[in-house]
Amino acid sequence: MHFDSSTLIPVLPEIFILTMVCLIMIIDLFLDESQRQTTYLLTQISLAVTIFITLLVSSPETQVVFDGSYIRDPMSDGLKVFICIISMVAFVYSKEYLLKHDQFRGDFFVLGLFAILGMMVMVSSASFLSIYLGLELLSLSLYAMVAFDRDSKTGSEAAMKYFMLGAIASGMLLYGISMIYGATGHIGFSEVASAVATSGTDNTVLVFGLVFLVIGLAFKLGAVPFHMWMPDVYHGAPTPVAMFIGSAPKLAAFALAIRMLVDGLEGLHADWQGMLIILAVLSMALGNVVAIAQTNIKRMLAYSTISHVGFIMLGILAGTNEGYISSMFYAITYGIMAVCSFGIIIAFSRKGFEADQLDDYKGLHERSPWFALMMLFVMFSMAGVPPTVGFFAKLFVLDAVISVGLTNIALIAVFFSIIGVFYYIRIIKLMYFDKPVDDTPFEASIDTKVVLSVNGTSLLILGLFPASLLSICTAAFG
Amino acid sequence: METVYLTIVIAPLIGAIFAGLFRNQIGRVGAHWAAILGVAISCALSFFVLKSFIYDGMLTYNETVYTWMVTDGLRFEIGFLVDKLTAVMLVVVTFVSLMVHIYTIGYMADDDGYQRFFSYIALFTFSMLMLVMANNFLQLFFGWEAVGLVSYLLIGFYFKKETAIFANMKAFLVNRVGDFGFILGIAAIAMYFDSLDYAEVFAAAPQLADTQIHIFGDETWSLMTVICILLFIGAMGKSAQMPLHVWLPDSMEGPTPISALIHAATMVTAGIFMVARMSPLFEFSETALSFVLVIGATTAFFTGLIGIVQNDIKRVVAYSTLSQLGYMTVALGVSAYSAGIFHLMTHAFFKALLFLAAGSVIMGMHHDQDIRNMGGLKKYMPITYWTSLLGTLALIGFPGFSGFFSKDAIIEAVRYSTIAGSSYAYFMVVAGVFVTALYSFRMFFLVFHGEGPRDKHAIAHLHESPKVIIWPLILLAIPSVIIGYITVGPMLFGDWFNGVIFVLPEHDTVARVGESFHGPFGFILHGILGLPFILAMSGLFVAWFIYVKNPSIADVIKSRFEVIYNLLDKKYGIDELYQYLFADGSRGIGKVLWTLGDKTIIDGMIVNGSAKAVELLSGVVRHVQTGYIYHYAFAMIMGLLVMLTLFVNF
Amino acid sequence: MTFELFLFYVFSAALLYAATMVITQRNSVHSALFLVLAFCCAAGVWLLAEAEFLAIVLILVYVGAVMVLFLFVVMMLDVDQASDRAGYMKYAPVGVLIAVVLAIELMLVVGPGNFGLDKFASPIPHAADYSNTKELGRVLYTVYMYPFELAAVILLVAIIAAIGLTLRKRPQTRYQDPAKQVQVKAADRVRIVKMATEKKWS
Repeated sequence: MHFDSSTLIPVLPEIFILTMVCLIMIIDLFLDESQRQTTYLLTQISLAVTIFITLLVSSPETQVVFDGSYIRDPMSDGLKVFICIISMVAFVYSKEYLLKHDQFRGDFFVLGLFAILGMMVMVSSASFLSIYLGLELLSLSLYAMVAFDRDSKTGSEAAMKYFMLGAIASGMLLYGISMIYGATGHIGFSEVASAVATSGTDNTVLVFGLVFLVIGLAFKLGAVPFHMWMPDVYHGAPTPVAMFIGSAPKLAAFALAIRMLVDGLEGLHADWQGMLIILAVLSMALGNVVAIAQTNIKRMLAYSTISHVGFIMLGILAGTNEGYISSMFYAITYGIMAVCSFGIIIAFSRKGFEADQLDDYKGLHERSPWFALMMLFVMFSMAGVPPTVGFFAKLFVLDAVISVGLTNIALIAVFFSIIGVFYYIRIIKLMYFDKPVDDTPFEASIDTKVVLSVNGTSLLILGLFPASLLSICTAAFG
Repeated sequence: METVYLTIVIAPLIGAIFAGLFRNQIGRVGAHWAAILGVAISCALSFFVLKSFIYDGMLTYNETVYTWMVTDGLRFEIGFLVDKLTAVMLVVVTFVSLMVHIYTIGYMADDDGYQRFFSYIALFTFSMLMLVMANNFLQLFFGWEAVGLVSYLLIGFYFKKETAIFANMKAFLVNRVGDFGFILGIAAIAMYFDSLDYAEVFAAAPQLADTQIHIFGDETWSLMTVICILLFIGAMGKSAQMPLHVWLPDSMEGPTPISALIHAATMVTAGIFMVARMSPLFEFSETALSFVLVIGATTAFFTGLIGIVQNDIKRVVAYSTLSQLGYMTVALGVSAYSAGIFHLMTHAFFKALLFLAAGSVIMGMHHDQDIRNMGGLKKYMPITYWTSLLGTLALIGFPGFSGFFSKDAIIEAVRYSTIAGSSYAYFMVVAGVFVTALYSFRMFFLVFHGEGPRDKHAIAHLHESPKVIIWPLILLAIPSVIIGYITVGPMLFGDWFNGVIFVLPEHDTVARVGESFHGPFGFILHGILGLPFILAMSGLFVAWFIYVKNPSIADVIKSRFEVIYNLLDKKYGIDELYQYLFADGSRGIGKVLWTLGDKTIIDGMIVNGSAKAVELLSGVVRHVQTGYIYHYAFAMIMGLLVMLTLFVNF
Repeated sequence: MTFELFLFYVFSAALLYAATMVITQRNSVHSALFLVLAFCCAAGVWLLAEAEFLAIVLILVYVGAVMVLFLFVVMMLDVDQASDRAGYMKYAPVGVLIAVVLAIELMLVVGPGNFGLDKFASPIPHAADYSNTKELGRVLYTVYMYPFELAAVILLVAIIAAIGLTLRKRPQTRYQDPAKQVQVKAADRVRIVKMATEKKWS
């Protein structure tokens, strides 16, 4: 057993972020209330440097270190960069919210950084063990973040639900992993993959374990019928936490799916394809239809997320590189859209007013035409209206699904997307055609405004020039 | 050069964005500076490009800038094809656009929508440049639709005016008809050529020249004819050829600067440009060329006739534009593409001039546009008068003026043509010369000569327009006069368009005309002896005789030939026919479908039905989404059970 | 039947019994105590499988630390047991049905059909001087170093989360600061005031 310190190079982003979070935690202890911004700034700087390091250590080839626990490949690089970018944007909005609501505390950012570390571990896992630990690290941080507002009853309730159900899902995932280990004798994805390839048709135990794995995955993604936590958590959690849960972790969940199902169990494609079809169709159906009946915008976005998750799974279940690429494109796009939608909710909220009712958006155009336009971009993008990037995301996924012959599934997806358009357009109608009920001037700090503008217009720009993002996704599955 | 081309396109776009999105921040002055600066940059660079082609012998540039996506082998790209044809169009578009931008400062000075207007015209310039610089059909279509959109927005610029709304809706609908043909044509190209790239399509055209296809049943069609006629239908919509011309006169509801820019100089000529660009396709279909020729000739003559009886100053100029567009189309029909483009260029200058001069008159008359109320404006508005005179002379093709060269070249080319319909076309274009002179000078005399304005009140306020209006007139008057003399040699009979426009030897009418060409001066001499000159002069004379010398004759003629007058006044009843047939007809069908389809099926069953279904489902979900953890956990266990049972092979 | 096999059945039966009692007992303290029993039985089974280290850790950590803490919490919270059980019977039939179906399916897969001795040969017993702890330690700090570090980070997060969620300074609560208390000087506490003698009541 020999150890070469150069094997640490691919892990540098994780090492850096862990070091920084420990430092920030200690520094935060010695700051008084007036210096609290330092914690925030250090967090943002750490993330920026992490992105830089990730790009520095990136290369087209794949590196596996730590005896098959850790993998660095173009997909992990791409996802890590986007996880960090989306989280940075989310933190900008979060700071806005926390300051507005007098809840600015250092542990929000510390927990957030731990969650990001968890996501990065998941993205770079080469074995079931490390991916499970990454998932737990992420989940544990999120549970605590949901309960961040300790005086909020709904927040604590949501945290409790999330924690309990998350524990059940983790248990199932772990049970599935143990079954896979039992059947193959390995926990590394590549070893499992070769063992699966030789298993032949006698794979009852494998499929049995696979069911549990897929359920653990479905819970993380929020697919029906394992979605029940999402509306309650989105609704109950403080808005910045709901934003955080709804954006970057979906990229990590995508990586979870790719690592487990594709890297590890591609031999069982026929089996997990069927499972994902059921989950995807149910998610798109239920998410889109139930979202219509919501009056709370955070709850509506929760159901909208469920429907988007259906699309992300569609790309994966195609089982081709084209499908994975389209799914990754969708996940990244979704992250950008989600963070922007919550950013607007935060920008419009103020102390004692969460701006989370649909009626709060009436006549937004008259109060702030520019941010109403940003919201319009988000809604169009989520609905998949060209030329926004959401259109391409849907198009690529559908293209991938059709090219493997699952035309019926694509038709169902289109059908439910059309139903989904209704509730996105309804927001636009409220913003542009209704009279405002509240004409308090719109107040947000300048950095929030700038980031929100960039975030919103990026949906349009990526839609006009999708090739840049697409090439990153293509490189990931080159 | 890529940077230069990108800058040419992007500069007006940036100007438009600034003037539009930040209109409140940068104010009126900021908005016009942003837009003008953007257009000025691209104008200067366009001249630089043209200079490089003329003096530096620059080669054609054809590169893809950005690949949007690739699907099934079809590449969707943004790219630039800059050759000598594009260079000419670039200069014409940006120069006229710049003049109009400057003019607008004066014309729109008191308008509330000042910044909005600047944003629109800069956006228009961007779209038009995208159109002319395209190197593939996708971008062409983008530019095509984008200019259509801006045109729609600008016709309805005074969106509180009922007639303006009607006019922009009309323009929109009529253009839909044309665009439908156009996109079908592009689709046919994509289908049979498997490419949207100009160069690839043109290279493959000779091999596919004899391809026959089936559309309905067993009848065979020539592929090239189908494609070319479909594309030309698009051009008919955009370039307002009969019978899709009806939107252009109504488009005069928009502010005058855009009538000059969009509905005279640039956008309406997009169809002409497109056909010239597609010459490698059109050359392989004589049927399509004949179709083009007949449509053009009909438009050239009959719309000119209507111009004689119009009393709105802008409408007269609009009908004149229709007629001139007809001339250009005729040129395309006889394969004299270079003559068509040449006329496009000269027309852009003198027609923009005439429109802007008309705008100057309208301002002087406090937005009274009826020429019967005018008269004697010569002494109040001398510069407008003189520039108008130059423009009018150019329009009627007075020897030496720019319009003379281009129009005479077209008439000569038609004379040499042998394709079907050329004799009809020859008669039409020659007779058209008389009509052109008649309506042009009728308007000219009624506006500037004779008794002073009818409304004595108006005289008190009548004065020459401000400098920002006068200067563009003067700057446009210069090319209106001289551009033909300078460029006729190289552009028409030289090698300027070699390798850019493709003409089969048996169709090459311009070359036949060129055989007797010995310099522009000789061309003038030859023209003075020709029939068109005599007709133009007689038109001028008749106009003078009726409207200056002996005004009472006009009323006599009007009552004598009441049937013809009414026919012309009603514009051959085409508007009414469309109104009855298509507007009312489709509204009738719509009503039936509405009551039957919308109210019973869609509203009753689908909308209310799905609303009920949503209500039902969300009721169920709300029942399940109780908020109790053990219910949620139960749902998860149920999911597990179902999936285990379904997928595991026990 | 060897003695080991006998022990296995005893432990397993006790484990199943204890586990069932955990979820059926009305009193939470009883449930918790049955859970302790279940852990102990499981530890016994693990000992039989030569996983001595894990068995001892299970007792030490779960029984010694986690369950004691748990008992404290249960006692402090004073859960209203009557309302907790309301509606319990309503779901019981469905719950039992699903549990039975699930159990059957689990057994079909994890039964001898897939994991029988014909599929997996029984492992060779290790020699008496074989150290489980040493072997675990060896792989834990070499091959599984990365997961091990991650687990440490997870524990760190758990600590932070627990502190973050519970520690709060209430302005109205009074705290003692021993450091300040120690440093106190007599002069800070007692002030000797000299006063002029008062005048007599007049």
